Amino acid sequence: MRDLWRDIKGTLEPFWVTLSYIFKKPVTIQYPEQKRTPYSRYRARIVLTRDPDGGERCVACYLCSAACPVDCISMQAAEDENGRRYAAWFRINFSRCIFCGLCAEACPTMAIQMTPDYEICNRDLLNLVHEKEDLLIDDGGKDNEYNFYRHAGIGVVNPRGGNEDETEPEDVKSLLP
Amino acid sequence: MVTLTIDNQSITVPKGTTVLDAAEKLGIVVPHFCYHEALGAVGACRLCAVYIETEQSKGVQMSCLVEAAEGMVVNTLEPTAVELRQHVIEWLMTNHPHDCPVCDEGGECQLQDMTIAGGQSIRRYRGKKRTYSNQELGPFIEQEMNRCIQCYRCVRTYRDYFGGTDFGVMGSRNRVFFGRFEPGRLESPFSGNLADVCPTGVFTDKTYRFKSRYWDLQEAESICPHCSLGCATIPGGRYRELQRVRSGTSKEVNGHFICDRGRFGYGYVNHPDRLRVPRINGEECDRHEALAAINDKIEKLGGEAVGFLGSSRTALETNAMIKSWAEQSGSKSVCFECHPQRDNAARSWVALRGDRGRSLADIRRSDFILLLGSDPLNEAPMLAAAIRQAESSGSQVAVIDARPVKLPFKAAHLVVRPEKLSTIIRALKSGAFDNFERHEQLFFEGVLKSIKKAERPILVGGGDLLQAEGVAALCELMAQLPEAGGDFVHLSGPNSYGAAMLSGAAPDFETILDDIITGKIRALVCVESDPFADYPDRKRLQEALSKLEFLVVADYINGPAAAKADIFLPTAAPAESAGTYINCEGRMQRFKPVLKPGEPLRITGDGGHPPRRFSHETPGDQPRSAAEFIANLVGQPVTINDLRQQIAADDDRFSGLDQPEQGMLCRANGELPTTVNREDVPGKGDDLLHLLPVADLFGSGPLLSYCSALDAVRSAPCVVLSESDAASIGVANGENVSLQTAEGKLAVEVRIDAKALPGLVLIPQTGADAFLPGGVMIPCSIRKNGARDE
Repeated sequence: MRDLWRDIKGTLEPFWVTLSYIFKKPVTIQYPEQKRTPYSRYRARIVLTRDPDGGERCVACYLCSAACPVDCISMQAAEDENGRRYAAWFRINFSRCIFCGLCAEACPTMAIQMTPDYEICNRDLLNLVHEKEDLLIDDGGKDNEYNFYRHAGIGVVNPRGGNEDETEPEDVKSLLP
Repeated sequence: MVTLTIDNQSITVPKGTTVLDAAEKLGIVVPHFCYHEALGAVGACRLCAVYIETEQSKGVQMSCLVEAAEGMVVNTLEPTAVELRQHVIEWLMTNHPHDCPVCDEGGECQLQDMTIAGGQSIRRYRGKKRTYSNQELGPFIEQEMNRCIQCYRCVRTYRDYFGGTDFGVMGSRNRVFFGRFEPGRLESPFSGNLADVCPTGVFTDKTYRFKSRYWDLQEAESICPHCSLGCATIPGGRYRELQRVRSGTSKEVNGHFICDRGRFGYGYVNHPDRLRVPRINGEECDRHEALAAINDKIEKLGGEAVGFLGSSRTALETNAMIKSWAEQSGSKSVCFECHPQRDNAARSWVALRGDRGRSLADIRRSDFILLLGSDPLNEAPMLAAAIRQAESSGSQVAVIDARPVKLPFKAAHLVVRPEKLSTIIRALKSGAFDNFERHEQLFFEGVLKSIKKAERPILVGGGDLLQAEGVAALCELMAQLPEAGGDFVHLSGPNSYGAAMLSGAAPDFETILDDIITGKIRALVCVESDPFADYPDRKRLQEALSKLEFLVVADYINGPAAAKADIFLPTAAPAESAGTYINCEGRMQRFKPVLKPGEPLRITGDGGHPPRRFSHETPGDQPRSAAEFIANLVGQPVTINDLRQQIAADDDRFSGLDQPEQGMLCRANGELPTTVNREDVPGKGDDLLHLLPVADLFGSGPLLSYCSALDAVRSAPCVVLSESDAASIGVANGENVSLQTAEGKLAVEVRIDAKALPGLVLIPQTGADAFLPGGVMIPCSIRKNGARDE
């Protein structure tokens, strides 16, 4: 007898739940016609940003590739005529990337950043291998103030000893105490 | 021996050991910057503080300066000591720039490790940082002085250890500066060691600048292929490119350091012109095709008509394979060095040295050193460093040589003609100096007196100048030395000793050439050897090799022989293969493959990003180790371990080759060569000038001319003349002359040396012209530029 009541309840209750939602606003989004805006700290497509002076922030220090648990980042460092270290080439294989964000966390110059752009699916894997020109954007991303070379003290942006937190180069031949 | 307790563990160490060393033996890490095993302790960085609980020196002490004493109790984890160490790091970091991302030392930086280990992740000091201007220190070393923590390791290495004079410490208080008085190239041939000893990134390897991080490098223990000393090195490669070489540690050989030739002479591995695909008559082909063609041809000609040429820069395993290949195909013409004089010198050293051969470690401990026909800085630089260690602890050094031997310390020098060296050695043995001039007699008497007085005298000879006769004489003289003394002879190639052991009493390359001329030998197989570059008599070689029907060359450098080869096989460079070199004191040293052969990404990517296509093949991965090629040819698939076991089993002298232990000495010696007396090549006329090609630090050796990093330091071609010869030709110092030999003409600069001998013209092998393999004198004439041709 109890089983009969249970069965009747079990048959009718789902109908009731369905009926009750007919008059509520639907939560389903009609993707791709409708799109949600992810939060700003959402971890999706990776970009390389520029410093406020417009220079490439990436110094090709290899920390992101070292931090990457799936080894999807590779690069080659080079030096330009001003002594600035930059990435001669920089490649992220998004078909392998797990969007863990460790690269962005490791980056000492805030060059590599995660963006909320999650729509990077592609049928051809090779299209997911992004080179530096695909990654580099003309913006500072989450921080438009920081320029690594204004603090590093190796005299690339400013002359040596010309940064705010440095003194003038020492005159080593001086005999003054 | 004293017994002390460190962190509740007791250890017994010899008297005189420091607490730091004793702790290290226990596996307890005491952080330190300025202490270095080779350089000793100065107590400058104050980082190795430990707490000593016992009475003798109670309190916080620098463990590198305190000698271990009986019953001493040391606590490395005592809170005050730990706190002091933490503060020291914090102080060092107040001025250290935060530029680790752009610093090449990052990842292998002692300061990084110590800072993290000390828990100093935040800089509390808010003041400004001190900066310096950098110096341009030449093509090898990059300076970034802001990173300096004033540990003085660089000065102690450069000046105290290697005797360099152009680098030092300047300034006062907290603006102490390490560098040259004026910007310029670091002159010491050991300057590269600054990059190794600097605990931070002040001095870094310029040739490796911004190429890779330490953790991305493929590294393996290896042996330097540039001279016969066999220094331990650790090459590092990435993306199929050999990117740097740093020094390994080998107590008996090089200690902790290597010379600049070994460190920066690695470019031959990545050379853009290196042939990486087998060729038949210049046409690229598959390696199996090439191997089949070689086998066909040898079968057709018959084994007896084939000569086999190994080399002194090839691994022992490869040379042994060549020998068994020759035996299998029925040929008796096998030789492992295409420079007969060097071959015979090596063979007589191997046969006669007995058990009195000494190591570099012995030289460092020696108390009298006589250099005979040896110019260490140019021929075997780390030998000069070893002698410098002996000299700085009181040993006397005397030099008898034809060249202006420059050494990083003071030494008595007697200039003699090279052919007189063996006579001199015999005279030193007999003590009869009647046939010599007065100043020579005095010199020899002094030398004999010093040898008698010394407890551990070592005679150092150079195989090139002494030749077989001189080496034999040197071995005779060795018998008169005291028990702890001995001989040391450096040879030409990294495996000259092993090659000489294998060849034994077999005929040398001259005999093979004779047979080629008479038509007995119609095919020649050169494995990693290039007679066109290394055989001294070019004319005779041309005559012989033009009669050859078939020339096979297997090599990893694109030398002159490769262009003439009917079949070319690309072999793997030492950094790309495993093998064994036997150094000039008979030490078997194995090297491991660092990277796989293949075209570097720098070349295939053309400077940009790697190619964007998927492929199962690696560009240019056809090279295989020469031993593997020969194993394929003779149809026995062998791994390097099988091969080593086979060699050790076949030849008793190589027992130990298959053991895991590194650096075993060969048990027994070789046989004396059956020398064929030939007429001396140089004319004997008195009025003739004799040209003696002499070794040059960055120029001699088969590999160095393929190293682009050395281009910047290669000296311009020059000849060294005596004052009287210069006067009779009518040239002044620095003037250009044209040098004429039977081999050709060369425009060179004149350097007049007050010590040079009349009639003898020295030409350093700067790599500018390869027609001078060295090892023999050739007649020459020198004409002033602009003078009329007769």
